[in-house]
Amino acid sequence: MTIFLQSLISGILIGGVYALIGIGLTIIFGVMRVINFAHGDLLMVGMYGTFYLFTLFNIDPFISIVITMPFMFLYGGFLQKVFINRILGSLPQNQILLTIGMGLIMSNGIMLAFTSDYKILSTDYSSSSFDILGISISTPLLISFAITAGITVVLYWFLLKTDTGQAIRATAQDREAAQLMGINVKRMSIIAFGLGASLAGTAGALISPTYYIFPQVGSTFTLKAFVITVLGGMGSIVGATLGGILIGVAESIGGVYFGSGWKEVVVFVLFLLVLLFKPSGLMGKSNT
Amino acid sequence: MFGKIQATVLALILALPVAAQAAKVKIGFVNSITGAEAPIGENLTNGVTLALEDLKKKGIDVELVKEDDTGKPEKSMAAFEKMATRDRVAGIVGPYSSKCANAIAKLAEKYKTPLLIPVASKEEITRQNLKWTFRLSATTYDYATILLDMATSLGRPKTIAIINENTDFGTSGAKSAKDYAGKKGIRVVAEEAYAPGSPDYRSTLTKIKSKKPDLVFMVSYVADAILLMRQSREIGITPQAFLGAGAGFATVSFAKEKAISSNVFSSTQWTGDVNWPGAKDFDKRYIAKFGKEPTYHAATAYESMMIMAETAAKSGGNREKIRSALKSGKWNGIMGEVKFADYEGYTNQNKHQMLVEQIQNGVHQTVYPPKYVSKKPVYPFPGWR
Repeated sequence: MTIFLQSLISGILIGGVYALIGIGLTIIFGVMRVINFAHGDLLMVGMYGTFYLFTLFNIDPFISIVITMPFMFLYGGFLQKVFINRILGSLPQNQILLTIGMGLIMSNGIMLAFTSDYKILSTDYSSSSFDILGISISTPLLISFAITAGITVVLYWFLLKTDTGQAIRATAQDREAAQLMGINVKRMSIIAFGLGASLAGTAGALISPTYYIFPQVGSTFTLKAFVITVLGGMGSIVGATLGGILIGVAESIGGVYFGSGWKEVVVFVLFLLVLLFKPSGLMGKSNT
Repeated sequence: MFGKIQATVLALILALPVAAQAAKVKIGFVNSITGAEAPIGENLTNGVTLALEDLKKKGIDVELVKEDDTGKPEKSMAAFEKMATRDRVAGIVGPYSSKCANAIAKLAEKYKTPLLIPVASKEEITRQNLKWTFRLSATTYDYATILLDMATSLGRPKTIAIINENTDFGTSGAKSAKDYAGKKGIRVVAEEAYAPGSPDYRSTLTKIKSKKPDLVFMVSYVADAILLMRQSREIGITPQAFLGAGAGFATVSFAKEKAISSNVFSSTQWTGDVNWPGAKDFDKRYIAKFGKEPTYHAATAYESMMIMAETAAKSGGNREKIRSALKSGKWNGIMGEVKFADYEGYTNQNKHQMLVEQIQNGVHQTVYPPKYVSKKPVYPFPGWR
């Protein structure tokens, strides 16, 4: 029973970070209908930022998101304005190629600048934990979960209550109608991509005290982000949150009851089952 | 007619300076210079750099053809084919990882090019009756046996948990540990093979903790070694000993993480304080030149390059002669005595003496076998600080 609870809690905590990655991707898809294949690489850029803020300026990884978030927002906005806005109406394969290309440039640029060496960010709490009823809870994971939860709440409030948030949602619902209503959809796209990038970067910052950092780390997370968003329903933020936690838990429990080598299999079987019975994802509406 | 003789003489004269510098040889070196295993690959490159310096002092001028396999077997194979056919090298040293070494071992046979593998340890590599593939390092079986021998000589472990990366090196290491534990009467209570790169091993480790193993045996590369130990600390696993089968556990970056690396044992092919000829000197020179401690990977690469280049120079670059010279030769350098023998199903395998080191206060110390000890081992594991 302890093992089950332990893996459930670890899964939920790590799932929180997954959710953050998924939410970023789902916002980008929702507003632009562009699948961002550079999402994991944006996360990787966030990780490197966090690492150097920590080693050069001694800024704690969790505090550094105050810097990482706005920086990644601007970076994402820049990418949208300069590259993606140009091809919004073009063929999907062109959009895919563009984002893959951007990802490659990011990972190889980082490799050129910082070599392919693993970077390990060790804070004094990197391997600390506390005990509740025989279940150990990782301190850094718990903190990052709390921050993720906070960010998600603020994001909901932003999208539901503010004018900009509503404009973003309107753009996501119907781009042309939104434009006819006087919404500057190009600007909304820039904000949405900025948001997506800053969420990916923040997720990178949040896992860097417990994970390791290298230029190609993004690809693992790009794949994970896809599974999460498609599982949750593309474009649905609630779906991405749910999807992230579900994947985290499935990995964790799959790892215990089927063996660690099988946990990916468990995740993808779950993914296929959801697609089989609900092709639009858990929270998705089929709009085609 | 006269013209022909003249031309021959001319050709001979032109060829003479080349013959005078008979000590010039072309050697291939394939390694993980970039990619996931690059931090370990760097040690091999540095070892080879020092070897080239020493060879120059001995009057052997090596033209090195360096190829990066990025840790991928298919790239290793392409590099081998290029070096064997286009660059026409006399012999090849490398690659680093077991999966790459295993992939190109058969190519050595195909292209009749001598291959000297410095450090890759998967048992099967030299168990395929390959005549052109030689291996300097010990095998994963030796990694496991030396650790378990040490543990049983210091305590009375009854159970063992095995965690390994599901790569060639990882599975081979785990299989060896399981076999030898059986022979030693130690019960395997958990076996976990994981896919590298996952951010969370906590659930696996919790499962292992519930089995209360006396020994935890791990086979992992750099980053996962750190992650596994960090999360073991979080979960609070306290066996009699943590045993790491070389690789990630033998690196400086692992040792530097004092909070999690203290008292972890690691089997190794070489240490800086072992009394093999020139080992201490190699250690000093390496630190002076590269500013960090060498790992066993550096030493094996150094010695392999020395052996390959010297043999190639003596044999005038003739591949067939190099092969027979490697087969019949005997060396005694920084890796101790080296001889490529056929035994227990192995072909061209050096019977290398393994060592065990323990990380004490951020430094690797040789603790076993007693003949080579530099510090007393701490056993059992005193618990987490």
